[in-house]
Amino acid sequence: MLIAKITAVLAMGTAVGILYRVPQNLLIYGSFAGLLSWGTFYIATVFGAKPVAACFLGSLSAGCLAEALARLVRKPATIFIIPGFIPLVPGREAYTTMLYLVEGRYAEGMAMAVMTLLIGGAIAFGIFLSTTLFRLTANYNVRGKMPHARSGQNMD
Amino acid sequence: MPANLEQALRLAVQAGEIMLRNGAETSRVEETMEHIAKSCGAARAQSFVIPTGVFLTVTDAAGASTTTMRRIHDRTINLDRIAKVNELSRRLADRRLSCEDAGMLLDRIARERTGFSWGPAMAASGVVGASAAVLQDAAGFGEICAAFLAAAIVRYIAHIVTRLKGVRFMFDFCGAMAAALIGQLLDMVWPNLNRDIIIIGAIMPLVPGVAITNAIRDVIAGDLLSGLSRGLEATLTAIAVAMGVAIVLTASLS
Repeated sequence: MLIAKITAVLAMGTAVGILYRVPQNLLIYGSFAGLLSWGTFYIATVFGAKPVAACFLGSLSAGCLAEALARLVRKPATIFIIPGFIPLVPGREAYTTMLYLVEGRYAEGMAMAVMTLLIGGAIAFGIFLSTTLFRLTANYNVRGKMPHARSGQNMD
Repeated sequence: MPANLEQALRLAVQAGEIMLRNGAETSRVEETMEHIAKSCGAARAQSFVIPTGVFLTVTDAAGASTTTMRRIHDRTINLDRIAKVNELSRRLADRRLSCEDAGMLLDRIARERTGFSWGPAMAASGVVGASAAVLQDAAGFGEICAAFLAAAIVRYIAHIVTRLKGVRFMFDFCGAMAAALIGQLLDMVWPNLNRDIIIIGAIMPLVPGVAITNAIRDVIAGDLLSGLSRGLEATLTAIAVAMGVAIVLTASLS
């Protein structure tokens, strides 16, 4: 079962890359970003983390990998971030919210809606934090050499 | 107006237009336009970019300046073109490419068809749906195949709907409705299939990945106006998907 899920995550990264027209030679990196984020999420869940914390850790690790890859191969980081966080998207929570609301179970629906928003926010802030970390280090390096440079040629 | 200033302006605005049209974040478009303008003879360049237009002012060493703007109407997602324009601007800044060649190259980037045609795109969409179904715990082989089929059909609807210009959020709404309908119909024909897993898989290709990522990156870079409007775009897309599913589910309850 775990092997099927890992295969699915790898296939998902490449397929998402095709949908967003990522350059064809970079499709495989997207798969690795997706595998890292989902693997971190899975391991965190096994060790007893709640879904919100696990998704945060997953998107943080995928964001860091994406920013590092972007500087390594000098391509926009967006190419690696999107396949990275897609496996974490709370599709089931969002769907269950709508199902509960449609069935008139408003209290359960609202609880599930808050859960969806929290997971979405955790993913967003995982990416936010990783991008900010890499931006800080880049600006720090530039400032050491040239006092007034904003940030040279955009590296990410 | 000096000739080289005009050339710098034209090149930079064209590059900015291509990037914005294909879904680049605001700060990247602004910086790329300024770098291209400076590489092609402008002494100073100031750009202002919002999701629906680009503005650029270039000034030469003598102080003569000129401004232009370009309105962006339709936007698609093509990360390949963004990567290519980024690479071009890097080569221009390193003097590995002349401005004349850059103009021709930009024309080619804007015109060429990149990525896959709709057949492979449908298959890719199906794979996304099937993978999302595999990640749900209770998924069997039947659900996975059904999710593949439903997600591929969602992509085909996108292929039809995006030909109509100026229709926003209809693709997401119609796609979600189709996904829910397919899940519901398959569930009626084979009652042992799990409807929920099929629908969850089929709406996965509708996640607004570029809008979410760009909204976050714009806010980090301080482009609050762009970040806000892209965040709104992502939210409205999510609402359109949710409502598409909800309407079909409501109809199937009664």
